[in-house]
Amino acid sequence: MRKQYRLWQLMLLVCWCWATNLQAQDEVVLTPVTKTYAITNVNINQAPGKKIEMGTILIKDGVIKAVGKNITIPADAWVIKADSMQAYAGFIDGFSRTGVTKPKEEGRERQKDPGNPPPDKAGITPQNDVRAFINPADKAIEEWRNAGFTIAHVAPYGGMLPGQSALILLGGSGTDNMVLQSNAALYSELTPAERMYPNTIIGVMAKFRELYLQASITKNYEAVYASNRNGLERPQPDRVLQAFYPVIDKKQAVAFKAEKVLDVQRVINLQKDLGFNVTLVDVKEGWDVINKIKAANAKVFLSLDLPEKKKEEKKEDKKDDKKESKSDKPKTATEFEKEALDKRKEEFTNKYFGQASAFQKAGIAFAFSTNNAKAKDIPATLLNVIAAGLTEDQALAALTTTPAQLLGISDRVGTLEVGKMANIVISDKSYFNEKAKVRYVFVDGVLYKQEVKEEKKAENTGKKADASGRWSYTAETPQGANTGIISIKNDGGKMTGTLTSSMANRDYELQDIVLDGNKLSFFYTADFGGNSLKVEFNVALDATSFEGTMTAGRFGSFPVKGNKEP
Amino acid sequence: MKLKIFFLLLCCTWLGAQAQSLTGNVLIKNGTVLTVTKGTLENTDVLVKDGKITQIGKNFVAPAGYKVIDASGMHVMPGIIDAHSHIALSVVNEATQPNTGQVFVGDALDPLDVSIYRALAGGCTTSHAMHGSANAIGGQCETIKHRYGTVDADALRMEGAPRTIKFALGENPTRVHGSGNGIVPRTRMGVEHVIRQSFAEGKEYMEKWDEYKAATKVKGFRGAPPVYDYRLETMADILRGNIIIHCHSYRADEIYMLLNVCKDFGVKKLVFQHVNEGFKVAPELAQFGAMASVFADWWAYKFEVYYSTAYNAAILHKNGVVTSINSDSEELIRHLYHEAAKTQKYGGLTDDEALAMITINPAKQLGIENRVGSIEVGKEADIAIFKGHPLSSYTIPMLTIVDGVVRFDREKDADDQRIYVDPKGNNDNATFHKYYHNHENCLEGAEQTMVKLFGFN
Repeated sequence: MRKQYRLWQLMLLVCWCWATNLQAQDEVVLTPVTKTYAITNVNINQAPGKKIEMGTILIKDGVIKAVGKNITIPADAWVIKADSMQAYAGFIDGFSRTGVTKPKEEGRERQKDPGNPPPDKAGITPQNDVRAFINPADKAIEEWRNAGFTIAHVAPYGGMLPGQSALILLGGSGTDNMVLQSNAALYSELTPAERMYPNTIIGVMAKFRELYLQASITKNYEAVYASNRNGLERPQPDRVLQAFYPVIDKKQAVAFKAEKVLDVQRVINLQKDLGFNVTLVDVKEGWDVINKIKAANAKVFLSLDLPEKKKEEKKEDKKDDKKESKSDKPKTATEFEKEALDKRKEEFTNKYFGQASAFQKAGIAFAFSTNNAKAKDIPATLLNVIAAGLTEDQALAALTTTPAQLLGISDRVGTLEVGKMANIVISDKSYFNEKAKVRYVFVDGVLYKQEVKEEKKAENTGKKADASGRWSYTAETPQGANTGIISIKNDGGKMTGTLTSSMANRDYELQDIVLDGNKLSFFYTADFGGNSLKVEFNVALDATSFEGTMTAGRFGSFPVKGNKEP
Repeated sequence: MKLKIFFLLLCCTWLGAQAQSLTGNVLIKNGTVLTVTKGTLENTDVLVKDGKITQIGKNFVAPAGYKVIDASGMHVMPGIIDAHSHIALSVVNEATQPNTGQVFVGDALDPLDVSIYRALAGGCTTSHAMHGSANAIGGQCETIKHRYGTVDADALRMEGAPRTIKFALGENPTRVHGSGNGIVPRTRMGVEHVIRQSFAEGKEYMEKWDEYKAATKVKGFRGAPPVYDYRLETMADILRGNIIIHCHSYRADEIYMLLNVCKDFGVKKLVFQHVNEGFKVAPELAQFGAMASVFADWWAYKFEVYYSTAYNAAILHKNGVVTSINSDSEELIRHLYHEAAKTQKYGGLTDDEALAMITINPAKQLGIENRVGSIEVGKEADIAIFKGHPLSSYTIPMLTIVDGVVRFDREKDADDQRIYVDPKGNNDNATFHKYYHNHENCLEGAEQTMVKLFGFN
């Protein structure tokens, strides 16, 4: 009896060890056997316009040791036969939230005096450091690395003054190991606070000015006090104001998010009034204000989150046109109007893609930022940007040398030269070839290999999207972000659902839920100022996310994005 | 290399010139010129050079390069000025506190707002882009010229126009803050208190800083500066006489109250907006030197606006109050000439008196009467040309000129006048108007905020 019990114990122990061992194998990152690599027979794009064909890159301890032909390969080197592949310096993302955790939204307690909220509640946390929010295990790091990016300029999430940004490597064992430069910039947005001051853009602008001027005054006084404290009132340190000191000293720039043409101008007006060094990130509509940007001496990162191009649909349209002409149906005035409106939309879509080329022609150094973009869309987006007038070398510069310069790290990265950090992207064809695939990425001398997956296109498109489940959504409205959860149930084809909204304290029932292919639409009726308001959603789904518009009656349409909740 | 630099410079100056083509040269020939201040001149030419009116007379020959407009059979009047509007703004109300004197709607100018073009299509060339009326002391406002067609927000600003600020009395601030949030002001007394307290704090602040600045002039001074406060800076500027108050008001008692408050603090630059009961205190307004900007005939949209009359403008005017008629609406701003004509039906004003209500009088209220508001030599060439007399129901606006640049031409009016199009947006936006009178636009944004702030329906 006792023996048997022991036996059981032993067996359990063995099982447990075996199981934990299995788990551990998944998690432990093995130290590479060598830190020396030789990439051979590779086309080396050392810098934009500077190419070495079929050469070798030698890496040791995270540094490029040799680049060129006829290089002796050390015995301890791991040789990568990159036969006729293309090597580039690792790409640098000028601004994003890659690897940054979004803090959970606290329950929105009502402010007793919404005119004077505590700074942190109003989104004023310039003292926060993005390093506190970096999650080295974030999937986005891998996704962007797989697209060729090795460094990103990242900032915390938040309101008008989210905090200190940092330059991070997209790979590494932990936050500190990933950070290339902390306190890279004071990151700012023109984002109002919800339900409290500053609740609008005019509030944000006024608050920014006030904080800046207050900081200048207290900083001066602190210096007076430090020079001789005797007999003087003690200055009381304020972390919010102190965060502005390096900016006032011009030791640090303000990185300002400025998507739209009006945002750009507003930020530049602040800069003109206060005189700080400014970096504009996420710029989407800058082409008409290039002169202002130039005059402000602003550094610019152009957004790669661009509107969808309707390429494939065009062919279908043409077919439709033929059909129509056969039926000889005269077009109605409404159809003419719609056509004209669509044409203008297309004209502006083209302007978005042509922005980089416009900056290039104006002689302004620019790089790209990837905030809100999807890593898998980047190659196609870049191709469209190139089609709109940028050359491949110029695009490469905007991904490598220029961001390195703008971010002040060109001594370490941006080119494939001896002595530079081993941040390298290797693709099987030119990166700017439609069919190119990234095969190897080195970040700080560490190799990340990509398995080449054969695309299962048929399966992907053949599958009908599934709308059921819980989706979190964010709609950008002039009153700030409207967020909430959409829950949809599918009972044998009949869909029902509910929606919560940060702008209301109740659940709404969804009506007319229709899923056509991957296009999901529904509406709900909100009560607004005593009146009912029809709010419609029209979004395109994939397995994990959706994107589209939310139309709220007379208030207009707003972009909405969502993610499937686990 | 040198050649390259030369070309670069050439390009730069050319681009600069492009960006600054805000003024033009025009000869308007043979029109009936309604100068407003100097009578009506038949078959008269107006010559405009670099955006300014340089000559008014007959049989001028256009210098080379001048645009010539044949105004035969047409009426040429000064560009219409709207002393109360909220167009060309991304935001109207920062409704989070009873005094938001620190905010400035000039920070939220929107040159892409198609309402600017629509205003031009009604002969309106200048408007007072105002903060809303959610707060007792709202934000600072911006006087803009309707230079539609530019993306440059700064190009809308009427450079050098005096600073103005929005105040509000009565139901709006008490509803938003008192009923909505349980803070002062809940009543009209509370509104008075907020304004008095703000002025008193502003005065104290001003004195503290003046004292500090004087002290720093003494050699070896090392004291601590007062806390910098943007809101109180604004209050101090009002007390210094650097900002004109434009106060949203309806009832006679509260209008009289603000006159007294301003007297107590030595504030002299005061314009009342809406002023539906202004006719009851017209002599008092005239005596103070306060001005009034009213609706022609719009009332009863809430309790405090019932006691009203369409004779308001005429009564105020006949009592010596400088009176204008405003729109407060992106729809009314398109036909302010109709609104002015109503003073002839209700009050029998002359043509010049009626036209003054939408030209020189609002110019006075905005402190820009030396630059615009009439057709006189030396003034800025903001001109509206009508087929038919502008006070006739049958009049048609034909051309609108701002600083000598034609900004609206009926002959060239296109279907889609938007400057920017959102590629991701809905097409409905192009034809989407908010042409409904839902209270005043003064509360734009505030009610939405109220819903968000307080779950207030």
